[in-house]
Amino acid sequence: MDKNALKEKLSALEDIDILVGIPSFNNAKTIVHVVKAIEAGLSKYFPTYKSLLVNSDGGSTDGTMEAVSQATVDMESVLINRRADKFRKFVTPYHGIPGKGSAFQTIFQIARDLNVKACAVVDSDLRSITPEWIELLIKPVLDENFDYVSPYYMRHKYDGTITNSIVYPLTRALYGKSIRQPIGGDFGFSGKLASFYLSKDVWETDVARFGIDIWMTTTAVANGFKICQAFLGAKIHDAKDPGSDLSAMLHQVVSSVFNLMEEYAGVWQQVTKSEPVRTFGFVYSVGLEPIQVNLDKLIEKFRIGVKELDVLYRSFLPQDILAILHQLAEKPKTHFSFPDQDWVWVIFHFALACHRRVMSTEQIIKSLTPLYLGKVASFVIETWDSSADEVEGRLEHLCLVFEREKPAFVEIWMKED
Amino acid sequence: MENVLEKIITEPLKGFLQKIAKFLPNLFSALIVFVIGLVLAWGVKVVIVKLLKLLKFDALCDRMGVSETLKKMAVTDSPVRLLGRFFYWLTVIIFFVISLYLLELPTIEHLLEKLLLYLPNIMIAAIILVVGFVLGNFLGRATLIASVNAGIDFAGILSRTIKSITILLAFVMAMEQLGIARSTVIAAFAIVFGGLILALSLAFGLGGQEIARKYLEGRFKPEGREKENEIKHI
Repeated sequence: MDKNALKEKLSALEDIDILVGIPSFNNAKTIVHVVKAIEAGLSKYFPTYKSLLVNSDGGSTDGTMEAVSQATVDMESVLINRRADKFRKFVTPYHGIPGKGSAFQTIFQIARDLNVKACAVVDSDLRSITPEWIELLIKPVLDENFDYVSPYYMRHKYDGTITNSIVYPLTRALYGKSIRQPIGGDFGFSGKLASFYLSKDVWETDVARFGIDIWMTTTAVANGFKICQAFLGAKIHDAKDPGSDLSAMLHQVVSSVFNLMEEYAGVWQQVTKSEPVRTFGFVYSVGLEPIQVNLDKLIEKFRIGVKELDVLYRSFLPQDILAILHQLAEKPKTHFSFPDQDWVWVIFHFALACHRRVMSTEQIIKSLTPLYLGKVASFVIETWDSSADEVEGRLEHLCLVFEREKPAFVEIWMKED
Repeated sequence: MENVLEKIITEPLKGFLQKIAKFLPNLFSALIVFVIGLVLAWGVKVVIVKLLKLLKFDALCDRMGVSETLKKMAVTDSPVRLLGRFFYWLTVIIFFVISLYLLELPTIEHLLEKLLLYLPNIMIAAIILVVGFVLGNFLGRATLIASVNAGIDFAGILSRTIKSITILLAFVMAMEQLGIARSTVIAAFAIVFGGLILALSLAFGLGGQEIARKYLEGRFKPEGREKENEIKHI
């Protein structure tokens, strides 16, 4: 739908206070629950506000859009008074580059056109979303004047390992804000920030395809918007496609972080330490199902990578790091430990290699996969018997090493320029 | 006697001098054009080198693996300097050919015609070779990374094979373009390529017995199944 057609459809709607967006593509099985939770949340916590649910769909063929239109909540069963005049649903396909970013662009456009005060976006495959999520993502914006609400979930210690070992510590060290789930996927933000996002010229780039989550977080932080996080409990969602390639996933996430480093080099180079951000919500522990880990497989992939990719690593990793990697590859499982200090410098050197463009960014980042698996294996060995709090303490240590080593990294980066 | 002398010596000498007199201006023009060509070639080289340095062409070649390939071929010059030299010699050759034309010698004209008709083939062959090297390096690297990430033990061999096949294919295409021992080159390529595929098939067949056994066991015998990782990376 082009901009004019969208505006025409929206003209039937008056100004809206709260907008909640759901990007979707063939999520008919799960989206109904998400829609119900949003409607219940808006009716329960924001009964006096005019609210709109927007489903921005990428051309589903399984009846996702119809499912959204027909979904209704039995308000009596959840002890909520229905306020039909205050809640609207708007289902629209998005056009342009296929991807979550393009779906979000449509949501931002609607938010701007309807002068929305507060917005939230949530994934369409969520199984653990409750009406309280809407309160937690919207209220900090409406009542506390925050511009961006990042999610904070309770996750299994081996869930979200790319976030834990790379994205969280690196983003925190770079931009100085301790945002625990920078690529969480469910966010709250102000209408002002939605307009700001829309003004950025990124909608024909990779941001439209993938990496919108880290882009939103980094853009908000780097441009000085007021940030907080909200505790949402456990995040349970549909399992990703089991065939999806880890190296492709790693490339999407890490290349997004590295690209943003280029854009905001002037910002992160000035940041010297990190600070916590205000957290809303009642933090509680959640029972999480155990996860099966095949350590031998992880370590074997690390060893093959160090041996076979050595020829590639030589073009951007220094000798001392290479020597450490080779030593580690020789160690038996019982003594396998990837020190934080070395891991941090591996990441920094990969960032520098992308900055220097020593070869294609995709090839550089995909070659990180075996080293990342080695770090995951080391982390699993170290934390096998640790509680959730102890694991958080372990991650805190990693974050502090990133922060401690950052000045030396900044110096090298600036010399390159 | 005088007539005889005139017929034997004077007339041929006159004719020779007339021919020399007719040829000398052509020779001078040819020499002048060639000298201009040399100066112009030097200018072209300087401009090309400066322009390519400005465009950071060396860094681009580093990224594409061209510099690495050149080093392996014992070429110590940078890609920018190589291209500078290439255009220098191209200009020199063009002006040399023009100079030869100016001499107006029928035999040379005939030879030049043949050479000029052949020149595009040389250019196309050179382009095929360069593209082959770049593509070979890129595909080799992509294969290496993909096979390492898939946990394949012989990732290095696989990558080198892909790279060699691509470069070999480019070489054969270039030779075909140049028309050098056409049938011999194609036959040699077919033999080498066929042999390689046969060797790979045997290697896969013999080396893959264990993998195939494990796969089938995992597929049909639950107790033989390898433990899968359930780690969620994102």
